[in-house]
Amino acid sequence: MAESDRVWEVFRQESEGDPMIHGGSVRAPDEELAMHYAREFYGRRQESHRLWVVPREAITELDDPDLLQPPFDRSFKKPGGYIIKHKLEAAKARAASEKGE
Amino acid sequence: MSELDAVPRQALAELLLTVADDEFVIGFWDSEWTGIAPMLEEDVAMSSISQDEIGHARALYELLAGLTDTDADAIAFGRPAADFRHAALLNHARTDWAFTVARRYLYETADAVRLAALARSSYAPLSELVTKMRREESYHLLHMDAWLRRLAAAAHDRLASALERAWPDAQAIFTPPAGEAALLEAAILPDPFAALHERWLGQLRPVFAELDLPIVSAAVPSDGRTRRTDDFAWLHGEFTSVAGSEAGATW
Amino acid sequence: MNETERAEAFYAHVGSGGKVEADDWMPDDYRAAVLKFVEMHANSELMGVLPEREWILRAPTLRRKLALTSKVQDEVGHAQLLYRVAEDLGKPREQMLADLMAGTTKFHNVFHYPTRSWADVGIIAWLVDAAAIVSQQALRDSSYAPYARTMKKICWEESVHIMHGRDVVLTMMNGTAAQRALVQDALDRWWGPLMQMHGPPTDPSKDKDLHWRIKAKGNEQLRQEFLSIYVPRIRELGLRIPDSELEYDEATGRWHYTEPDWDELRSVVTGHGPKSQERLAFRRFNHGQTQWVRDAVLAPAAAAA
Repeated sequence: MAESDRVWEVFRQESEGDPMIHGGSVRAPDEELAMHYAREFYGRRQESHRLWVVPREAITELDDPDLLQPPFDRSFKKPGGYIIKHKLEAAKARAASEKGE
Repeated sequence: MSELDAVPRQALAELLLTVADDEFVIGFWDSEWTGIAPMLEEDVAMSSISQDEIGHARALYELLAGLTDTDADAIAFGRPAADFRHAALLNHARTDWAFTVARRYLYETADAVRLAALARSSYAPLSELVTKMRREESYHLLHMDAWLRRLAAAAHDRLASALERAWPDAQAIFTPPAGEAALLEAAILPDPFAALHERWLGQLRPVFAELDLPIVSAAVPSDGRTRRTDDFAWLHGEFTSVAGSEAGATW
Repeated sequence: MNETERAEAFYAHVGSGGKVEADDWMPDDYRAAVLKFVEMHANSELMGVLPEREWILRAPTLRRKLALTSKVQDEVGHAQLLYRVAEDLGKPREQMLADLMAGTTKFHNVFHYPTRSWADVGIIAWLVDAAAIVSQQALRDSSYAPYARTMKKICWEESVHIMHGRDVVLTMMNGTAAQRALVQDALDRWWGPLMQMHGPPTDPSKDKDLHWRIKAKGNEQLRQEFLSIYVPRIRELGLRIPDSELEYDEATGRWHYTEPDWDELRSVVTGHGPKSQERLAFRRFNHGQTQWVRDAVLAPAAAAA
């Protein structure tokens, strides 16, 4: 059986400026038909502003939790890791009292 | 519309009918591929293209309905087979994929030449509509060009014999509508169909030479838009079977 | 971890609402169950094309022509989306099509029946798709994430089909007496298959598709949901549902109905329905007619050229 066509992954941008989000995949023997078929499956209802069509083998997957969800503290890398509410209140109170003196 | 004199108005109606019927009939034939095309991905693509053609036919019938005080569905589904004005190329049944690609390639390229001219029509409602149609037709051209090249490389003989079969009747796309002189005079039609025919041949020759595909010597037939066949009579019977089943019913 | 522990951890993950991706490790029996479920769904979309396709050339207005062609096109598109999910589980598309055409894999019961009039187009698009969407919406919660994602896209498209079908039915019900009779006749013929469509009630503890969260709701629950939404919508149009037992029991909050003919269901889905063999033969014929195209454009020689 003829099974030499390839899988192409399709990413779509819904409106200008939006992120590219994975839509799904099509099978096609070459890039030109892959583009046409991507348009059919992910754009025929005017639902996309832009498509990226990528041969599946060009995608490298990384899903190792040791790499992506390392177990030790990373709070210093995130805005939520800095809790300043009480420090700010204290600083304001101190500043106000200094001014009052 | 009201600013048009009776003569170009009648000729314009004929012109609109020829283009609309072409789109309507090829859209009907190729919609038959929906569900049974060679690959699932291609099935969806060919279905979109045939839906586009029906959409274009609808817009053209609506324009025509405005001139003749009727409605688009009545024009599409209410006429006897003999009153259709599509080109003889579209008299043939769907047949196989090679014939579909051959016919569509010839039709799309010819239609592109015709629409490029009509986009310059002095009749603004037509030129505006055609400008919109061309935005969808460009994809049809790309897609059929892709198929022509693939079959030329991998199934050359099948494609060549389908092209030979389609070629004579394809010339009928350039059979002018009645009243061409009046259309030219009013600049509704910027160029005569004979000139469009030459332009089309000029575009096809290098492509067919490159792909080693046959061009058959054939003239534009004078009865190219009035000849009807059993295939079309069958199709007409199908598409009027529900619409004509009960007088006055709404569907 | 040995295989048993690995499988136990997998099922604990799935049982607690966890998701599985195509590249994740999964036990063979889970993979086989998902593949069988998705493959039958894909087959159903592909075979579901045929009853309505017969009316593509007969659609009576330009808008109906567009809507019906577009709907059938969507079903082909759904078949592609679902075969893509199944392919990534390890079974080639050509093999799935071959098994379908040979009758060794199944498709849903409703696609084994004939379509006799334009009213069938309306009833199928409205009620068959409605019954399908009830189960498809539940599949958006499937533990197999590629399937769940695909169902989100499919449900969105199916909702358009239901609107199209309901519009066809409403137009005919507001039309002539003959048109109304066509709709009633179609409903009379489709009601039995519709009631069978979700399958007989199963014991949730023994239904492994349910247990592994490949599907999220049981057969009877889906049928009850369908009845709750659609019985009032059918009756308000003046249509008569051909089941004298059908009534809602306020006390139990459930619909009572005449027991569907489960023998008919079993017989139909194993290829003995009124149109089963004809439709499979039609598929085989057209697949054969277009084999040269696939050989030409998908063959290694063409790809290398």
